[in-house]
Amino acid sequence: MIKKIKQTKLEKILLIFIIILAIIAFGSLITIKNKCLFVKNYNPEKLKFKNSENIAILNAPCGNVIIELYPNISPNSVKRFKMLINSGKYNNVAFHRVIKNVLVQAGDLEFGKKKNLNYTYIGTGSSGYGTINSELDISFDFKKGSVALSRTEKKNTEDSQFFILLEDAPLFEGEYSPVGKVIYGLEVLQKVKYNDKVEYVLRPDFINTFKMLK
Amino acid sequence: MKFLKIILLLFILISPSNANTIYNLIKIPNLEIYNNKSINGIKYLRAYKPFQVGVRNDNVTCFNSNIQTIDEKFKLIEENFNKYNSDFLKKINLKYVVLCENLSVSEIDAGGVPNHRMKTLIINIKFEKKHFQRILHHEVFHLINQSYKDLFVYDNWKDFNHKKFNYAECSTCSSDRLNLSLLEETKGFLTEYSMSTPSEDMAEIFSFLITEKKNIENKALKDPVLKKKISYIKKTLLKIDQEFKF
Repeated sequence: MIKKIKQTKLEKILLIFIIILAIIAFGSLITIKNKCLFVKNYNPEKLKFKNSENIAILNAPCGNVIIELYPNISPNSVKRFKMLINSGKYNNVAFHRVIKNVLVQAGDLEFGKKKNLNYTYIGTGSSGYGTINSELDISFDFKKGSVALSRTEKKNTEDSQFFILLEDAPLFEGEYSPVGKVIYGLEVLQKVKYNDKVEYVLRPDFINTFKMLK
Repeated sequence: MKFLKIILLLFILISPSNANTIYNLIKIPNLEIYNNKSINGIKYLRAYKPFQVGVRNDNVTCFNSNIQTIDEKFKLIEENFNKYNSDFLKKINLKYVVLCENLSVSEIDAGGVPNHRMKTLIINIKFEKKHFQRILHHEVFHLINQSYKDLFVYDNWKDFNHKKFNYAECSTCSSDRLNLSLLEETKGFLTEYSMSTPSEDMAEIFSFLITEKKNIENKALKDPVLKKKISYIKKTLLKIDQEFKF
């Protein structure tokens, strides 16, 4: 006859501890794998906007980023930006330059397209529509969430690339042409894939779609 | 072509990822805003850690300075830079002034390092007290010179000097031409450092015109070479900005 051995108190505690540890490990695994788990995805249809004709919706891997454009501040830059959005040029374009908690940059239509990604030249491509002049005269507070057109080291070289700030950058005033500000969903951009050691991202995240609300 | 691609990739891979927005603008790491509300639009930045920059082997080095040390000097610094209005600063491409201490270029102590392309002037706030104020304008002149290279013709300038005089090959090439003190007997040059290169000579004239105008104009009364040089700098500055006042 097999003698039944009763669990000691210590063994019971140990068992409970192992079970808790397993639950935590499993939970963490799910959390780590799904970077978008706690990111709120805003539905523009359920939101009200004052200037709905200037609202753009950028859909990234973790959800929607809702941007208000400012044609009064940078008319030509916003005109170019809207044209590229409306023609679907930004769809499937990489967030090729991401600096954690500083900025995300996208919009290289030549070398940053999902089907034609060129790691050697990404960030140097153009739209094919030519460059436009910088619009720097009107004061603009470059707070977190500001959207502006990128350029080369020289002014008046703005084209299709743009960046969105993840931190305040007051020194950018007078340097870059602002086009708008994120009003909802900045946390979506904080989840865009980055690399700790380099600004340029290998196997980057992409803009799924970018369109105007109206 | 493959080799070129590898080089480009390497270049991308070594670019720092922890750069802040200031680094993005002027390519100097470890800086933060000290004051960005000046009347002429200059943004004053402070090094919170030492930094090394430069085209050749990061040859420009500067150390961080605590806020209290900068506070003590800032009034003087701002007063001097406020002599230039925002329109003039735009013309000469000066927007950012970096404040740090023990600045050196290739291990030689320096008062300032201008970078025309990045619209930046690095200032050594621990530079010799008696020359500190003047050195700010000396460095501003280098930005003026870089912005209007065609207007400052070195060969014409050299002709002002006595025929036997020759400048050194570079600003720090001659150890007996580094002193910044005003000479008693000028003989065409305000300081020993003026004798190093035409560009430094011009910068010395300009900086003295800003800080000790009457004194050097008096000296020029007895020094025809100096008189011509002062006149040249004044006339050329008026070509750049008709409202410029020394």
